[in-house]
Amino acid sequence: MRRYLRLAAAAAVFSLTVTACGSSGGDDAPAADGGGLGTAQNPVSIRVLANDAFAKQWQDQLVPEFNKKYPNIKVTVDGVPYNDQLAKSMLELTSPTATYDIVLGDDPWMPQLAKTGGLVDLKTDLTKFADANYDWDDINSAALAAGEWDGHQYGVPVRSNLLLMFYNRSLYKKAKVDEPTTATTWDQYFKDAAKLVQDTDGDGKTDAWAVGTYFTKDPLTPTIWQTALNSNGGKLLDENLKVQFDNETGVKALQTQVDMLKYAPPGAATYQFNEPLEAFRQGKVATMFMWGSVYKGTAIDTTTTTLKEDEVGITTLPAGSTGPGAHRGIWTAGVAKKSTHQAAAWTFLQWTTSKEGEQWVGANLGTFPARNSTLNGTPPAPWLKPVYTAISAGYDAIAKGEMWRPRLPESDAVQQILALQTSRAISGQATAQEAVHQAATDISALLKSKGYQQ
Amino acid sequence: MSAVRTSSSRVGASGPTRGSGGPPRARKVRLGEPGTAWLFLTPAIVLLAGMLLYPIIYTVWVSFSDFDLSTFQPGDWIGLKNYEAVIHDPGFLQSLKVTGIYLVIALPVQLILGFAIAFLLNVEWRGRGVLRALFLIPMVVAPVVAGGVWRMLLDPLWGVVNYALGLVGIGPIEWIGDPTLAMVSLILIDSWRWTPFIVLVASAGIMALPSDVYEAARSDGASRWQTLRHVTLPLLVPVIAAAFVVRWLGAVKMFDIALAATKGGPGQATDVVNLYIYEKGFRGLEFGSASSMATIVLIITMIITFFLFRLSRYLENRW
Repeated sequence: MRRYLRLAAAAAVFSLTVTACGSSGGDDAPAADGGGLGTAQNPVSIRVLANDAFAKQWQDQLVPEFNKKYPNIKVTVDGVPYNDQLAKSMLELTSPTATYDIVLGDDPWMPQLAKTGGLVDLKTDLTKFADANYDWDDINSAALAAGEWDGHQYGVPVRSNLLLMFYNRSLYKKAKVDEPTTATTWDQYFKDAAKLVQDTDGDGKTDAWAVGTYFTKDPLTPTIWQTALNSNGGKLLDENLKVQFDNETGVKALQTQVDMLKYAPPGAATYQFNEPLEAFRQGKVATMFMWGSVYKGTAIDTTTTTLKEDEVGITTLPAGSTGPGAHRGIWTAGVAKKSTHQAAAWTFLQWTTSKEGEQWVGANLGTFPARNSTLNGTPPAPWLKPVYTAISAGYDAIAKGEMWRPRLPESDAVQQILALQTSRAISGQATAQEAVHQAATDISALLKSKGYQQ
Repeated sequence: MSAVRTSSSRVGASGPTRGSGGPPRARKVRLGEPGTAWLFLTPAIVLLAGMLLYPIIYTVWVSFSDFDLSTFQPGDWIGLKNYEAVIHDPGFLQSLKVTGIYLVIALPVQLILGFAIAFLLNVEWRGRGVLRALFLIPMVVAPVVAGGVWRMLLDPLWGVVNYALGLVGIGPIEWIGDPTLAMVSLILIDSWRWTPFIVLVASAGIMALPSDVYEAARSDGASRWQTLRHVTLPLLVPVIAAAFVVRWLGAVKMFDIALAATKGGPGQATDVVNLYIYEKGFRGLEFGSASSMATIVLIITMIITFFLFRLSRYLENRW
């Protein structure tokens, strides 16, 4: 009997431990006043779950600027590595209490984050905390759509970004090639690329190449040929979420990226984000397909680039049959449903994305605006003028060709499949046709397993 | 030390008896030796159960369920559906194959190199102390850092390795970009990091060898090769077996170097199984499939480790 008692006691201790590990820890409901905006005596604190690429910049520069207007809202910005951020955000939004009041998500994540039910609809749920002057209609529709899912506006664009083409004017001039424009086609681009692989110092060795961009096995790598696909009228998935790229247009698009490698520097097959950026900033490549947010560090900031402002051009990706290309990469921010400081959280986001906030952010952090009034108005700094022109053209292209990653909760899984097959094609382990077919088969199987009609 | 008393003071035989009207006598509970042992072990067991057993049980649970992303919890019980999907997943099977290739090449290379270097370090020569100290450096470098640094060193355009090879007219070589060379690079980086560990273990083993056996071998006229073949190696078998098992347990977890150096690419050329599972789970958010894969890998690892232990014991007894 005593033995059973001991066993029962041990089991009870174990159960208590396990229960404690998984305990809910209370359920604080959001206050009716949204936690208020704080006072000098009792400031409110909010936490932001952001990406580590810009969390420090926000904490050191954006938050102090915000605090000039709202000194009683203390903001802590935590950065999370990109690879871990989606899972951490989902864990956060499904936990019983909110550690973070604001959660940021990359472009394709919104459906996954919204599906948790942990975000509020910014347009309807937070009306009572809204600034009367906050102009939703001024935000570019293509940018705003990144934060929308299933008819609700869960996020607002805080860091608008587009995949654009950077080019080095000096290398184009040296190669006696006309600079690219929004009308430059892929065919023309490849004709020029052959000339842009050159020996610039006359020592008989090639020291400058035509292109630097993502080539390694990474979910962002396929965005290059996805853009080519879209600009030729193709789509990954149709309206019914059925795979639609296992065809000539899809193969041609992937082959476009595979062919680029011929004109890229040695070792470019492993290029991710930093490598092509460094190659471009050091004048080794004439063009770079890259996120526009790197413009300031590439053309303006002398501590990070060897290039001068007038050497760097920026435009949309080469045009396909339906027009030029770009690819949306917008970080949106949402307010957690379980946040006890929704008023302060929404106030912070409203200021950051307001006309005033965007002007400051654009001039000081180099982040792209999402508001039409900012894009069409006088830029806060002269160097932003050509950038805003490129962004405007990019937004038009995006809206026209629906140039973004799949908008469904399985978006990242789809990108993983595309990344693998793109890498196989680029490394010569498969032809473009084989890779496209395998990717289409795998994506179809994935979606079918999740209950989508295929 | 065989009993634990529940009362703070021992009640003497001369105390008040039951029914005499005095305070009730505290009953003495003797747990006995096993009970006492279990009592002291309980904190450790609870800690281990919480930290080790619970995650394993949870992983197995997830592997049999349809993981619900809206609650981020295991949902409906779906039996072996995840396992069926995983077994028919060519990517998973390929990652197992890649892991096998890596283990079959990397472990013997590291073992042979490690023991060879240990023999060299065991011979008296000037500067061996410095070299021995230098050998420790790779071990203290974080695997992710090692992967990242080697990625830079092997870069065809900027890397020092290709620069050096270029001086003698070789290259540039696509160390990471070529599917075959990417695996070679992965093994190279892993061996750079882990061979020193084998060197340390082997050095300790060599230094512990009894000198009288060598004197006897010398008296019998044994050559160096004969001494190595018939004396040193048999005596070192337990050390070699132990080093192999320990290294196996480390190598089978290969993840971070591959993540930092090659990201499993090009294609799936270096996509070791742990990296594949990580990408499936934390990037693709397919936690059900990822948990099934993790469970399968755990079972395979346990079976192989069991046989390795048996083999190790057999070799120890045989020699």
